[in-house]
Amino acid sequence: MSVEIFGSWIVVFLTLSIFSYLYDDNPFYKAAEHIFIGVSAGYWAVIAFWQQIQPNLFGRLWPKLEESADTSVLNSVWYSIYKVFNYISTGAGTLDRSVFPEGGIEGYDEIRLMYIIPFILGIFMLLRLVPKVGWLARWAIAYIVGMTAGLRFYSFLNSDILLQIKASAVDFTGEWGAIINGMIVFIGTITGLIYFFFSKEHKGSFGTLSKIGIYFLMIKFGASFGFAVMGRISLLIGRINQLKDYSSVEYNYATPIILLFIIVSLGIWSFMDGGKKNESAA
Amino acid sequence: MDTIKNLFIKLGSMDRRIIFLLVGLSVLFPLLKPDWFALPIRPKPHSQIVFNEINQLESGNKVLLSFEYGPSTKPEIHPMSVALLRHLFSKDIKVYATALWPDGNFMSTDAFDEVAPEYNKRKGVDFVNLGYKPGGEAVIKGIASDIKTLYTVDLDGTSLDEIPMMQNVNNVEDFDFVFSLSAGFPGSKEWVQYATDPKGIPMSTGCTSIQVTDIVPYVENGQIRGILAGMPGAAEYEELVKTELERRGLPVNLGKASGMMSAQSMAHVVIVILIIFGNITYYLTRNNKRKGG
Repeated sequence: MSVEIFGSWIVVFLTLSIFSYLYDDNPFYKAAEHIFIGVSAGYWAVIAFWQQIQPNLFGRLWPKLEESADTSVLNSVWYSIYKVFNYISTGAGTLDRSVFPEGGIEGYDEIRLMYIIPFILGIFMLLRLVPKVGWLARWAIAYIVGMTAGLRFYSFLNSDILLQIKASAVDFTGEWGAIINGMIVFIGTITGLIYFFFSKEHKGSFGTLSKIGIYFLMIKFGASFGFAVMGRISLLIGRINQLKDYSSVEYNYATPIILLFIIVSLGIWSFMDGGKKNESAA
Repeated sequence: MDTIKNLFIKLGSMDRRIIFLLVGLSVLFPLLKPDWFALPIRPKPHSQIVFNEINQLESGNKVLLSFEYGPSTKPEIHPMSVALLRHLFSKDIKVYATALWPDGNFMSTDAFDEVAPEYNKRKGVDFVNLGYKPGGEAVIKGIASDIKTLYTVDLDGTSLDEIPMMQNVNNVEDFDFVFSLSAGFPGSKEWVQYATDPKGIPMSTGCTSIQVTDIVPYVENGQIRGILAGMPGAAEYEELVKTELERRGLPVNLGKASGMMSAQSMAHVVIVILIIFGNITYYLTRNNKRKGG
């Protein structure tokens, strides 16, 4: 059995296991769900380490320097820390070295000590696992929150507020269609904002405008719902299309065989589980 | 009349699994027998704008293609990636791929592996795949200011200094166009906020259906030039590229989205019918309750 066929059987089994939830919560679904979460977390962790932490953090702190580069005592002390990390990561030298290659990590040509700060903050994040010093994680979180807020402030203000306010202005020099469209957008924006203005009671003409705002919001929610349904159906089509492809002789009839296996297993499980439920009810 | 009313009320208490089965069958039959359900695909204005924007790029222009989706949204976005690459490579445009999602690496690799051989395009010469970097908007910000601080090697580990097409590329301003293939956060919105708006670089997007209502305000405002909205957007773009390649006498490979649109339409018909039935049942049940029935 080739790797491709083996892979197709796994794909079919996991897809049908997830679909089996439509019948009821069952062991196939639970197994597929756990595998998905575990594999996703593992994959994300490995990618983050090898594409970011190893080359961009360790690579900047301990780069592979040219032979003619600084050979001072401080430099030697700094790289002795690197050797300690290597000793730990290779299990006292019993494993092949991969995270900390001989002489330093290739990519940068000078040591950037500034990166000690994110390195320490990263360690602080992991200290959440140690209850006594878990509070140190708050420092790292505070940095992330502050940095993100600062980073987002200007871009959000420019792209989502100033430019959007500009776009909601009506251009009366344009064509009739564009003017009417612009008026609708303008009225929708103003009445929508009025609905979310809670400092004044929604009564009288203010209440009427607020009600118009609700209609605009409902249209938006309706459109969002419609697009959400469309998206989910597209995903269903993708899965069913793949199941159809894997039902051919090329893949040793993966779909019909696994479908039959899951149906039979669920039937047996349902019968046994039903019996248990009846026993507990009695 | 009472018989019809009772029928609708009974339909209202239908087991949800029957509804799942109906929707499943409405998708399955058009996929098994596409000829029976063939429907024409007419490009909408937003898809046409995307096509026009890409079509007016010239040979040798540089396009940054960002892969922000994974297997879970592949049916919607991947056909766009493939059609877009066909369009770009047919015009000899240099493609620079990046990924803001870890799974984006698989998607970009799949798309290049499928399309590059069709146009004899070579890695490092006609396209480069920079791969994924964690950090979300910080990565976009990094690409906007200095790509080579962020990326030292491409996805295969080749140093960027050794890749000829990376010679004069330092930040987002060195690209002629940005295209975001987005399934969520970080995605098209973040590209607008952190790169294309501040630097004034033209940008388009192909996104999942669920994101469309959030992205459309940027499109209407011209911050994003056109949008490929979900699977229908992908099918429309495939149709436009197909027509263009035929016009230029180039070989045409059919995309996947067009073949799946019949299933999409049939499923929508079933869902609309179910919503109408559900509403009728709701009104009948409510009236019965008011009457004390």
